[in-house]
Amino acid sequence: MNGLEIEHIVAVVLGVIVVCVALFALRNDWKTPGLDNQVFKIMLGLLALGGVLAALTGAGFIGKS
Amino acid sequence: MAVVSIPGGGEVDQLYAETRALRLQGFLLFLVSDIVLFSSFIFAYLYLRNSGQGWPPPGVTRPAIALGAVNAAILFGSGATMHYALENFKHGKFMRYAAFMISTIILGVLFLSGQGFEYYTLYVHDHVSWSGSGIFGASFFTLTGMHGFHVFCGIWYLTILLLQSVHGVYDKNKYFGLTAGTLYWHFVDVIWVVLFSIFYLV
Amino acid sequence: MSVIAEHGGLAEHIHPEPQGFIRKYIFSLDHKIIGIQYIITAFVFFVLAGCLAEIIRIQLMHANGGFITPDTYDEVYSIHGSAMVWLVIIPMLTGGFGNLVMPVQIGARDVAFPWLNMISFWIFPVSGLMLFSSFLMGAPVAGWTEYPPMSLQGAAGTSMWCAAIFLVGVSSTLTGINFLVTMLKMRAPGMTYTRMPLFCWGQFATAPLLMIATTALAAALAALFMERQFGVPFYDPTKGGSPVLWQHMFWFYSHPAVYIMILPAFGIMSEVISVFSRKPIFGYRLIAFSSAAIALAGFMVWAHHMFTSGIAPYMQLPFMVITFIIAVPTGVKIFSWIATLWEGKIHLTSSMLFALGFLVLFTFGGISGVFLAAIPFDLHVHGTYFIPAHLHFVLVGGSLMGIFSGIYYWFPKMTGRYMSEFWGRVHFVLFMIGFLGTFLPMHWLGAEGMPRRVATYDPQFQGVNQFESIFSFIMTLAILIFFINALYSIRNGKKAGHNPWGARTLEWQIPSPMPYYNFKHIPSVFGLPYDFTEPLPYAHLEEELTDSPVPVGSH
Repeated sequence: MNGLEIEHIVAVVLGVIVVCVALFALRNDWKTPGLDNQVFKIMLGLLALGGVLAALTGAGFIGKS
Repeated sequence: MAVVSIPGGGEVDQLYAETRALRLQGFLLFLVSDIVLFSSFIFAYLYLRNSGQGWPPPGVTRPAIALGAVNAAILFGSGATMHYALENFKHGKFMRYAAFMISTIILGVLFLSGQGFEYYTLYVHDHVSWSGSGIFGASFFTLTGMHGFHVFCGIWYLTILLLQSVHGVYDKNKYFGLTAGTLYWHFVDVIWVVLFSIFYLV
Repeated sequence: MSVIAEHGGLAEHIHPEPQGFIRKYIFSLDHKIIGIQYIITAFVFFVLAGCLAEIIRIQLMHANGGFITPDTYDEVYSIHGSAMVWLVIIPMLTGGFGNLVMPVQIGARDVAFPWLNMISFWIFPVSGLMLFSSFLMGAPVAGWTEYPPMSLQGAAGTSMWCAAIFLVGVSSTLTGINFLVTMLKMRAPGMTYTRMPLFCWGQFATAPLLMIATTALAAALAALFMERQFGVPFYDPTKGGSPVLWQHMFWFYSHPAVYIMILPAFGIMSEVISVFSRKPIFGYRLIAFSSAAIALAGFMVWAHHMFTSGIAPYMQLPFMVITFIIAVPTGVKIFSWIATLWEGKIHLTSSMLFALGFLVLFTFGGISGVFLAAIPFDLHVHGTYFIPAHLHFVLVGGSLMGIFSGIYYWFPKMTGRYMSEFWGRVHFVLFMIGFLGTFLPMHWLGAEGMPRRVATYDPQFQGVNQFESIFSFIMTLAILIFFINALYSIRNGKKAGHNPWGARTLEWQIPSPMPYYNFKHIPSVFGLPYDFTEPLPYAHLEEELTDSPVPVGSH
């Protein structure tokens, strides 16, 4: 197992963790009122999207080198 | 003195609630203007990229995708830890808050190290530089460098917030500084979602 | 939610007034002092940039020039344009009048972030000095627009120019954020959006432009600076960059900047015309919402500056059409003001004279703007004197006339004294004569094809140019009279009461000059400030003009 494969695996694992945590936090916070919390919800959604992108890139589905 | 409750927050006095509302609005507008700053550079990048020279321009190597993905995942992870730092502070769990905060800072430093390593690889091995590699060098290093600078500032910002909270500047109800720090850090993460997509994925 | 509460909050929070000279007048946190600081500083830069304008006019007295070298001429008009736009009109109308009047008009004690306000102000003179210091190292030569590749080849002062404009942009952005939060969150009880005075609506439409457009300019300037200092290829076509990219980024800022420079002046017009016609403003909502419409559409027209820059033909047409559409809300305002004047009881004070002059000159400049939006006409006159003619009609005939009108109008509020009405009228008459004589013939010169930004010209235009130069001296004389009048009146003017014009907005219901705390008790608002036959729509203002103690520090 070389360094590149480790990087791919780490990216997938971390990405999946981020997606899960972000979606979990989003579900917990879904009904919280307040301007700051509304922004946090948008940010968490985009964070989950970022996690998906990182995981897919690590798995080699997307991305250009 | 009248006690009012902040939506989604604690019970505070009227003066604090109003000052907090002003600061929140002002900080969000500051982030909006920062978004415009990034958008302008992103516009410049897309404009140059589509100016008919091919991408990447001949003789230029793109950064390694796997390292980029790990780095992105690290930064997004720091966003998640930051969220839980604030959540724990709200509920008065100070030690867990401090642990999440420190891990956020460490992840931020890790991200910057990864980016430094990426720059090093590009510069030393692939001979891609800021001013010598045409529009690729210009747009890639300027945009990621600007983002890196934001992360750098964010690390100091969070460190100061951590020290402040250790000294008891914030309490369970009055913690707007931490909210602002969290907003800033999330903003830095979310910008990277965009930058990562346009530099590594397309 | 968005309105400050009556008890226990910011409304009741009065800081004690600072007593030291430095904290009171130099590093002041008081929005009124900061506003006056902005106005004075901007007038200092106005004098400097005006001297540059006269150098240009002296050079153009003769077809072969000869007063200064062509290179110096390039430097002079570049700095003249940059200084007038960024150091005079924008700071004067937003930071100056906005700070001076807007928080009082909405019934607040101060802006949302007084410290930020002070920092925004102090960035501004520093950046102004940087801009003028670029003469010492070879000033920029590519005009106030600094198009690459010429700006890439300019002397070291061009980088200084970038830094200076970047800094003044930071100041504008911070002011925009500050004003927007102030107007969103700090209005007095009952001061709904549709009861805000129209000057505040002008600032309300301007603040997002300041905040968003200026940041886009910052990016363009940073890229130009990096390219000049570190060779990073953004704009240099020989290294793969694109000069047209600069034009897109620059005009994405600078077209909204045109509205930054005119929307607050529209606000001043609405106040002045209504007060001196003693009539409710016609179409309050139309004027208010057309400001917002202009601000919004202002972001979608930037490429009409670039019809000759080689942008795709399919892009040109929409930009032309949207530019035409922008004339509609502007026309709505003009007609509303004319309808306000209609059968009003018109008082021809100096302030009102400048407002009427504004109506004439700005309409003229606006119409030549519609000409320029038409692609075939623009292709003909682009880069000729038609452009300076148009832009001076809207910026001098519009913004600067608005500034003069505002100074005459609010001078009693700033100092407690009138400016001399007689010399104000002399100022107006001389200024109108000088202005029209200077800039009206430029339309003809442009249509005949005299190119702008060139130190020499075809001898057949010499007569007209000499005519213009002579009239520009008359304009200078008029402005000199204005300065002497203002400086003299600060100490020796006739005493004015708290409300010399009989105006109804909130700033006229408190003493002149305005006290540090603005209001002893935050007023409640019941209606528009423009119904001259009704009683005042405010409550809790009874003690403002009495000697009752100020409730300092009470919460």
